[in-house]
Amino acid sequence: MDSSLLRNFAIIAHIDHGKSTLSDRLLEMTGSLTAREMQAQVLDAMDLERERGITIKAHAVRMMYKAKDGITYQLNLIDTPGHVDFSYEVSRSLASCEGALLVVDASQGVEAQTLANAYLAINNGLEIIPVINKIDLPSADITRTQEAIEQAVGLDATDAIPVSAKTGLGVGDVLEAIVHRLPPPAGDIEKPLQALIFDSWFDPYRGVVVLARVVNGRMYRGQKIRFLSNGRTFQIDAMGVLTPKPVAIEELTAGEVGFFTATIKNVADTKIGDTVTDDEFPAAEALPGFMEILPMVFAGLYTVDSHEHTLLRDALEKLRLNDSSFFFEPESSVALGFGFRCGFLGLLHMEIIQERIEREYNLDLITTAPGVRYRITLTSGEVIEVENPSRWPEPTNIEKIEEPIIKAMILTNEEYVGGILKLVEEKRGKQLNFEYVTPTRVMLTYELPLNEIVLDFYDRLKSVSRGYASLDYQLAGMWTSPMVKMDILVSGEPVDALSIIVHRDHAYERGKALVAKMRELIPRQQFEVAIQAAIGSKIVARETVSPLRKNVIAKCYGGDISRKRKLLEKQKEGKKRMKRIGKVDIPQEAFLAVLRVGEDAQS
Amino acid sequence: MAASLRQTSGLYFSVPFCRSKCTYCNFASGVYPASEHSKYVDRLVSDLSAAPAWARSMQVTLSRQVDTVYFGGGTPSLLSGDHFRQIFRAIRNEFMLTRDAEITVECAPGQLSDATLGAMVEVGVNRVSLGVQSFIDEEAHRSGRLHSRAQVLDDLHRLRSAGINNLNLDLLAGLAGQTLQSWRESLSVLIDTGVPHASVYMLEIDEESRLGRELLSGGARYGAELVPSDDAIVQMYEESVEALSEAGLKQYEISNFAQPGRESAHNLRYWQRKPYLGIGLDASSMLPAEDGSVLRAATTADLDEFLKHSDRQEPIIETSWLGPTQQIEEAWFLGLRRNAGVSFAALRKEFGAEAADPSIAIARRLADEGLLSIQRGKAALTSRGRLISNNVFAEFLGLGRGWSVEEEDCAEAVAH
Repeated sequence: MDSSLLRNFAIIAHIDHGKSTLSDRLLEMTGSLTAREMQAQVLDAMDLERERGITIKAHAVRMMYKAKDGITYQLNLIDTPGHVDFSYEVSRSLASCEGALLVVDASQGVEAQTLANAYLAINNGLEIIPVINKIDLPSADITRTQEAIEQAVGLDATDAIPVSAKTGLGVGDVLEAIVHRLPPPAGDIEKPLQALIFDSWFDPYRGVVVLARVVNGRMYRGQKIRFLSNGRTFQIDAMGVLTPKPVAIEELTAGEVGFFTATIKNVADTKIGDTVTDDEFPAAEALPGFMEILPMVFAGLYTVDSHEHTLLRDALEKLRLNDSSFFFEPESSVALGFGFRCGFLGLLHMEIIQERIEREYNLDLITTAPGVRYRITLTSGEVIEVENPSRWPEPTNIEKIEEPIIKAMILTNEEYVGGILKLVEEKRGKQLNFEYVTPTRVMLTYELPLNEIVLDFYDRLKSVSRGYASLDYQLAGMWTSPMVKMDILVSGEPVDALSIIVHRDHAYERGKALVAKMRELIPRQQFEVAIQAAIGSKIVARETVSPLRKNVIAKCYGGDISRKRKLLEKQKEGKKRMKRIGKVDIPQEAFLAVLRVGEDAQS
Repeated sequence: MAASLRQTSGLYFSVPFCRSKCTYCNFASGVYPASEHSKYVDRLVSDLSAAPAWARSMQVTLSRQVDTVYFGGGTPSLLSGDHFRQIFRAIRNEFMLTRDAEITVECAPGQLSDATLGAMVEVGVNRVSLGVQSFIDEEAHRSGRLHSRAQVLDDLHRLRSAGINNLNLDLLAGLAGQTLQSWRESLSVLIDTGVPHASVYMLEIDEESRLGRELLSGGARYGAELVPSDDAIVQMYEESVEALSEAGLKQYEISNFAQPGRESAHNLRYWQRKPYLGIGLDASSMLPAEDGSVLRAATTADLDEFLKHSDRQEPIIETSWLGPTQQIEEAWFLGLRRNAGVSFAALRKEFGAEAADPSIAIARRLADEGLLSIQRGKAALTSRGRLISNNVFAEFLGLGRGWSVEEEDCAEAVAH
């Protein structure tokens, strides 16, 4: 298609600010879907995405829009993931657009995540159209929202478009603005092929499906292509676009967006941000911005029933087909048996993987406390990387420990700053900047150890700010820190799967809170159970679960038998979901107790 | 087949009426006007008459030879003398009461009129169970009981004068305000009465009773804050076992104590899995089917629902057929309630060694853990095992997941 008639755009919005509803409305108004075909939030296709109201995978939808000037334009909506865990994917999705709609809730204002993604879009040279959504709500304040956009993002918001995605009000103006305010793509169809991969997934019938934006040249069915990052070659066997129903096409030319398949078996071959070129007439260079994405958060995954270990491996392998950003390798634990050490982009990513395994593969999982990858210099001079507490070296062999640091941007209302400052101090944060972005909104920029973030930071932040704080972060180097390994002993035996790495100065407090939480989570057993936290041979905290005194059905006569049997079966079922370590039954939650330690501090 | 034909039946009549509802009560009983009583008794009689046909339609064996009858509640002593006469006419019409049949009526102290007592004796009632719960008047009142210690003693005197000497008293450990001292007093008053049978229950905390719900939700109504700790309840129970035994009342089941020969024959049926027919609201039946499976059926616990239908089939809300695996499971979790325990030889004889042995292996493991004792081929709970008997019983559940479970599900689906 004539590239002057193309418009590629993304939507940037905070969770719940109405991105999905607006997308649905655009699809409806361009006739891409009839109202009858609409299921609310069509684009968030995964169950999990719909339930959580977030986008995990990117999508691209082609809409044909006949504008008021009588010309029909091809609009490609590139729906990006909306969470800090996926900021690299977001940057690549944005790189495949010329413009973006910046959607802000008229009653909520600009959030940190929106801000971060808006900056990302501006840095990628995108033209931004501010859209003020939810103007139908009584609490909507368009003028204040405009001011907030101008002050926080530094954009001229005088021509921001007020809309209600819910009622459809103003959505027509958005379509016109996309056509007239966003530039067409600038690529050259005559140059050698350069296409940007911005997402891929595994389809059991078609192999890997790759979403790409053609920057220069053309891509066609039957073409032999090459991935520049790894030099692998494939032959395109099918191409298509989503409308949002998949429609087969023969080619994509410069500026267009679509998907292709090429009998690619391994999703790891298709790296997000990689450049696709023609094998015979390759482009001289790759498109800018490609990075290998690395997992940042690590945890052990085990099945409650150790016989299901191989089922877990199958599940992980299948999930990895679709998500090359998480990694796993076998590990074993004395307490939990065979399992896998997994690396994730962030905590949300970890939760998603865990939930998908439990739901789609029906496995009961035990997840160990999440941690980060430390760089340890040994006294021998050797430098090792450790992400599993059970591989932590002997303290006497450690010369220096470095831990990953993030730069966090927290945007909040003035009134919550006090609580947040206390929290970031507790989490060993170092202030970089403190700035009023509007008279009542404060942007805090901090360096924080990633280790502190992966524990309970996000929940705590939400709690101290009553939900009025948003967080965005990026990796920002390493700090040298005196970290120690803390073991948890149950009935005197160390349980390796419960060990965590903590800062030396926080160890005592953390240990105390952790064993207290574990005492709540471990049910009474037939005998007394001691729970201790220890650093080396030194016990830093102890709690006792007193023994179960009675568990008796006193009356069991004719009418009670079936009822009581069900009661016993329920008790037994509950026990089956626990892990027996030594003689102690430990529930799944106890392995993540460290994540719940902050709960008491919150309430 | 011959064996089950020779087996006798037990009859259970549920009488859900009470003058007041006790805070710890988790049964389908309630306070209803006396006008409902006659309607209800008519219904008992018609269901009893319909039972043999119902049993035939379910292809289960219902022996006409009856050697135990039990009126449970609720408060059966609230029925009039004529009600008892009416019910017993029906029993004798449909069934043959053996000469030495045990016929029990549960009574609330202070709620047994002379007329009713007279009729009970006349129709052949020979055993009475009195729900005392506590001999400390304040404790009894707080939990919703309407009687005093003096009334209990008076009732015992009246019953004995009327010729009913086979008497049971219930006590409940865990009432609000109860202390170890007050418990000892209740226990010693019970022993002094010289009754040949006692039941001692530890308070059950569940969603079915008002007190239980209050305790679970952490509230303070019904004296929930005054409920003794688990430790205290356990001590009350342990002392009772000892004191009752010294007084000649030997423990024969988790909560039951009797002079030798005075064990409740009707209640033993439940733990020995002998057939019984339940009539009335929230009443359960257990009857052997011709194909070797066992039917468990129960009626609704909703009185309006129960009275609305005129057909015995209608209010039955649970119908399950137990296959051999489930029968073995029950043989353990019911049989182990008895101090006599479970005999390996009897189990193998009933189900075959191949089916029985896996469960016997479980029993041996539990014996190693000190929860069961095995002597002369019989496994029984140890005192420690008794206090956490639910943990023990649970070990015997889920022995096999075969056809029997599916059958149960199907049957339930059909019944609904």
